[in-house]
Amino acid sequence: MKNPLGADLVIPALALGFAVYFFVSIADLAWEAKANGVVIGGVLIALIAIQFMRTAMALVRKQGDLGFGPLWLPRDALAKRVGMVAITVLFIATLNWLGLTLGLLAALFGALWIMGARGKVLIILPLAVAAAVYLLFVVLLNSNIPHGPIERLFS
Amino acid sequence: MSWEFVLGQFAAQFGLWWVIVPAILLGIVVGILPGFSPQNTLIMLLPLTLAVPVEQAMAFMIALYCANHLAGGIPAILVKIPGSGGAAATTLDGYPMTQKGQAQQALVLCFTASVFGGLITTLATIALLPWLSQIGLYLRSVEMVVVMLFGLTLIAVIAGKDTLKALIAGFFGLLIGVIGTDHIYNTPRATFGFLELYDGVPLVPALIGLFAISEALVMIEEKMIVDKSGRARALAARWSDTLEGLRLSVAKWWHIVWTSFVGLFIGLTPGAGASIAAFVAYQQSRLWSKHPERYGTGIPEGVIAPEAANNGVTSGTLVPTLALGVPGGSTAAVMMIVLQYHGMVMGPRLFATNPGVAYGVFISMAVAYIFMIFTILPLARYMSRVVLIETTYLAPIIILVTIVAAFGERQYLFDMALALVFGVIGYIAHKTNYHVTGILIGILLGPIFEQYLVRALRISQGDLTVLFSSTLGNFLWAFLVLSLVLPLWRNYAKGRDPSKKQERAGR
Repeated sequence: MKNPLGADLVIPALALGFAVYFFVSIADLAWEAKANGVVIGGVLIALIAIQFMRTAMALVRKQGDLGFGPLWLPRDALAKRVGMVAITVLFIATLNWLGLTLGLLAALFGALWIMGARGKVLIILPLAVAAAVYLLFVVLLNSNIPHGPIERLFS
Repeated sequence: MSWEFVLGQFAAQFGLWWVIVPAILLGIVVGILPGFSPQNTLIMLLPLTLAVPVEQAMAFMIALYCANHLAGGIPAILVKIPGSGGAAATTLDGYPMTQKGQAQQALVLCFTASVFGGLITTLATIALLPWLSQIGLYLRSVEMVVVMLFGLTLIAVIAGKDTLKALIAGFFGLLIGVIGTDHIYNTPRATFGFLELYDGVPLVPALIGLFAISEALVMIEEKMIVDKSGRARALAARWSDTLEGLRLSVAKWWHIVWTSFVGLFIGLTPGAGASIAAFVAYQQSRLWSKHPERYGTGIPEGVIAPEAANNGVTSGTLVPTLALGVPGGSTAAVMMIVLQYHGMVMGPRLFATNPGVAYGVFISMAVAYIFMIFTILPLARYMSRVVLIETTYLAPIIILVTIVAAFGERQYLFDMALALVFGVIGYIAHKTNYHVTGILIGILLGPIFEQYLVRALRISQGDLTVLFSSTLGNFLWAFLVLSLVLPLWRNYAKGRDPSKKQERAGR
């Protein structure tokens, strides 16, 4: 199997994109504001260029291909991984309406289900964690985290 | 300061056990959670600490502060999630120890290094307070630029097989660290239009994303975080493993002592913090080790160095607060508020007008550390059982609870989303062998490095030679060059050693 070199370029590509955006954003600033960023960004771009060249040479020598295998593999974990990220996005997006306790309860239930948990634990674990988090964040530390129906019920 | 006074202070502080023990337990709980810093907790508890006598308030705050510093290492070792920036370096060797089934030993090493590192530096501070309070005056922006560079060289040190990838990760982190308004004109840089990024990238969401979420996304692949043999060792964990951890700590007592002093000296400088101290101590520990190549594979010195330094910082931070009236960190600033509320005037006169409070703060810290070892050491055996929980349950809990914790520091929903973004970046970095610790070192040290560099250049009106204008600074530069050259020279010497050559050829 060939070495999947495409995956190795994702971080450099992200870093390069960010460095370019950084340079654009500081173009009109005073030297004190941009000196550090210019030096760091400059070195970063040089390092990325070396990494791209290194990859290109490996491709020319047929030591690898532009595959992204390491990011997806193993396949059986991919659905769980994507599911976990999707549930986390949903949890953050609905936090203002559901509040911490109910939102966490629902998100944990969904996440555990995606991970393959079944039976009593699917109910007991989210209830226990949500209760503990409610006690710590809302009751004990009086955090400003969004309140929902459960917090309002107990307030 | 007489012995009667010191002993009387110790007796008085031991009498406050009913304040110290609950504060230690609260500090441990809060310290384990990445989102809750001691200063946040102390701010939330200000109504309580302002209402009680100053001695009790200080004993409570100091015990909580020290316990918080210690507890950050617990999740760093068990699940590779540092509870605070100061514990980030602990993951480098702590987690590999857990993966080898040595979680209990690693935890005991963490506790003993933290407690004895904190205790030794506290006692040294009590003895040397008049002199130590002057050190902060000599460590100015020029010297601090070099101290920061000590921490930043760790990016290359932890590189492992691929230095280029480590450098890309480190410089990517450094550039992320520059996000936010600049230190002179407050003009925003690369904030993507988000007001929430004007203060720079918040540390806690970065820490949670890069370590906790990325690690949880990776651990999904396996049933457990330890392999079969590690699981068998964890299942067979006995008190003898705690004793083994203690034996290792005793064997490495000198390591605890000198790395804790690294923390103390860095802590003496206002603004420098535990994370810098921990990374510098780890870098120095590796530099002077006879077997630097074993760092990162799960060795006791790799846990001891950052933890001892992380707790050596605690007493150092309070020296400029009390002696100069300049808070050494945000937690020290909260303590200063409480002291000032009770009518104490910070500065050199505090030691003459209120020696009971001034020295009592450090004696209270020593007593808190003594209580802490008895409170937490027996828990190592039970805490190490976390590794036996299947990832089916562990991964969702880590992701969702730490996402909630990301809200804690600044109370922005934005920070929760930011943690997830860093989680995805961390996952990609993890899977493609770009060191996430390198990214974090950049994010952590980048803004502070810039702050000191710009300040130094501002003073010299842009003249770079200012960086070589002080004797202490030049000494640190020489030491930095030595730190970089020594490993290269060692490798060269190894290459010339015929026995080592044969050894390599035989492999």
